[in-house]
Amino acid sequence: MSETRAVGTRILYVEDDHRIRGSVKLALEDEGWQVDESETGEDAIISFGRSPTDVVLIDIMLPGIDGFEVCRTIRRRSDVPIIMVTARADTHDVVAGLEAGADDYMTKPLQPKELSARIRAMLRRARPAQPGNPHLQFGDLLIIPQEGVVSRDGVQIHLTKTEFRLLVELANSPGKVFSREDLLEKVWGHGVFGDGRLVDVHVRRLRTKVEADPANPRHVMTVRGLGYKLQP
Amino acid sequence: MTSLQDSPAQTPETEQRSVVRLQRAIQIGLRGRIVLAVAAVAMLLSVVLAVTTVTVAKNTLLTTREETLTAQALANADTVSGALGSAETADLQTLLSSLPESGSPLLLTGAAVPRSGEDPSTVSVDARYGIDALPTEFLDSVVRERNNAVMRFRFEGESLLVVGVALPDSNVSYFQINQLGDIDTAIRSLGLRLAVAALLTTIVAVGLGYWASKYALRPLNRIRDAAESVALGQLDTRIEYADYAADPDLAPLVANFNDMVSALQERINRDARFASDVSHELRSPLTTLNASIEVLQNTREVLPERSQQALDLLSLDMGRFTQLVEDLLEISRFDAGAVRLELDAVALVPTVEAAVRMVAHAAVPVEADPELTDLVIACDKRRLMRILANFFDNARKYADGATSVTVELHEPDHLGIILSAPTVRISVEDSGPGVPEGERDKIFDRFNRGDQGGSRGIDMGVGLGLALAAEHARLQGGSVWVEDRHDGAQGSRFVLELPMIEPLEADDPEDLAAVTPAEAETFALTGQMPAIRLDETPDPAV
Repeated sequence: MSETRAVGTRILYVEDDHRIRGSVKLALEDEGWQVDESETGEDAIISFGRSPTDVVLIDIMLPGIDGFEVCRTIRRRSDVPIIMVTARADTHDVVAGLEAGADDYMTKPLQPKELSARIRAMLRRARPAQPGNPHLQFGDLLIIPQEGVVSRDGVQIHLTKTEFRLLVELANSPGKVFSREDLLEKVWGHGVFGDGRLVDVHVRRLRTKVEADPANPRHVMTVRGLGYKLQP
Repeated sequence: MTSLQDSPAQTPETEQRSVVRLQRAIQIGLRGRIVLAVAAVAMLLSVVLAVTTVTVAKNTLLTTREETLTAQALANADTVSGALGSAETADLQTLLSSLPESGSPLLLTGAAVPRSGEDPSTVSVDARYGIDALPTEFLDSVVRERNNAVMRFRFEGESLLVVGVALPDSNVSYFQINQLGDIDTAIRSLGLRLAVAALLTTIVAVGLGYWASKYALRPLNRIRDAAESVALGQLDTRIEYADYAADPDLAPLVANFNDMVSALQERINRDARFASDVSHELRSPLTTLNASIEVLQNTREVLPERSQQALDLLSLDMGRFTQLVEDLLEISRFDAGAVRLELDAVALVPTVEAAVRMVAHAAVPVEADPELTDLVIACDKRRLMRILANFFDNARKYADGATSVTVELHEPDHLGIILSAPTVRISVEDSGPGVPEGERDKIFDRFNRGDQGGSRGIDMGVGLGLALAAEHARLQGGSVWVEDRHDGAQGSRFVLELPMIEPLEADDPEDLAAVTPAEAETFALTGQMPAIRLDETPDPAV
């Protein structure tokens, strides 16, 4: 149906309510995704290891192991994009989900079309601003957008796809201040009214990986009241 | 969650404010009464004391002086009596002058009181006090009845003491007139000093009363502060019972207060949990419904026409139902006190423009004061957006859409000495029928659709939008209202007024909304609204 149909992209959908699972699976399949279902957290962790997965969609309220734990377990093993689904938009669930390693979150009632747009944004590859300049060097930090490689002092750093896209977005315009809204739009594909906490949590996670001293960052800098920038 | 069953007319916030106001009134009244009582008692006591002192002092002084002068007069009379046999009248004059402490001595010869006009046979030293200065009864008693007598009297404004001695074995009477003016002066001066002292005492008593009342009310002030803090949403506020345990008057009050707040907190937590559960229970089936409808929409063209029509109706009402559920959940969060302000540094004009682009179906011009172009204020972006969306929704339903949006700076009103802070006003105008005067407050009530309620087409709202807009605005210290269009044309102007709160200097964007999971948990589980004192710059981290 859709032109941007991503044939072969597999989504692991973890949701205990079979009616929701069934209907969202149908809608996502209409958007062109392949959907693997899991009813419990335990089941999800097992099937994640078994078959290749491009995106994971996790409902927070699960019987047994909850969504946060599933998220943490998968994140320890993979940098696959994870979207949390919550029925409550309150701070607790959102922040806890992001802290557990989720890349994005959505609240119920899910709109499958919007969910699809988010998934597409997650899967987009980070690209350098000028294709002719594949290496970006910032002091001890080296970024090769084409290859998806970041290293500090010659040691390669492992980033999730979202963290990497965030870093490349900042690195493509060194010194330029990006507001949280700019970054939400460019990295997550959200509108102006997206949740700035996504950016904040990801910046913090990024710092723990690329900064020698995350408490006193030298690369990913906060510009008070305005946003973030990469120190050239 | 009571709002799902009934909609209370009074919002929790107005209740809170009236509670605070009531407390202030009682507090001032009680303190005032204490000060007044102490001052009145002090004044009464000091006046009584002063009057008594003056009276006693005066009597003592006069009595002493009278005794001294009487004794002296008797001695002087003896001297005169002894000298009378040998001396001439001229010598008597000298004699009288030489008598000690004699004041104005006077000798009268004859056993009858001289009548007026008669030239009495007198010898005197001081012409001021002649025989006619003396009261007649007194003269009578001495001259005719031959008694010795003492009398105080006033003559030409002077206070005088006269001692009359009927000299023995003769018809001569000796009078001695002494001035008591110095005693009067002393008493007056004493009285004046005491009056000043009484006044000072009263003033000191006012201060003392003020201090005492403050001291006495201090425990109550702490209870008041605690109540205020609870009213502002700090439900974990408690008064330290140990501090009052020894006080039999206050201990039960404190204990009851703490119990009451605990019960309140418990109830609000329960409500918040319930709201959260309901939210989950309602949103789950909505997800299934929305997803299923979308699947059907994807294959709409292969459906029979009647099914297509049914699907369209289903889709439309699904949208409406979803919005209703969202609004109800939102409003129940307000009722449960489970709302959280997410203050952010917001570039106002671009944000309003973006919001308008997002919520307006057709292009609507946004006009902004030039000086506001770079304005950044602390505000809750999501709520700002919800308010504008509700204004636009309303304009769409009742007036065929909004026609213009303005962003203006509103300078402080000069209300006597009270200066209100500058605010920003975001107005959405339409060219619909307008809102009649009497309806203007009511349309911000829940489920009120105004006069035309129910008369419009299928995407008729349920009337929660404007009520929510009002709650969203109030939460950030702002307000919403509707007025006539400023250009005089037909239509209405919905205004959102927001305080110009400067974002904190230390606004680290990552700290603005980032809370630790533990903090988030506290907020989410207690459903506790952050304490926002609007006279202070709110801490964006709450």
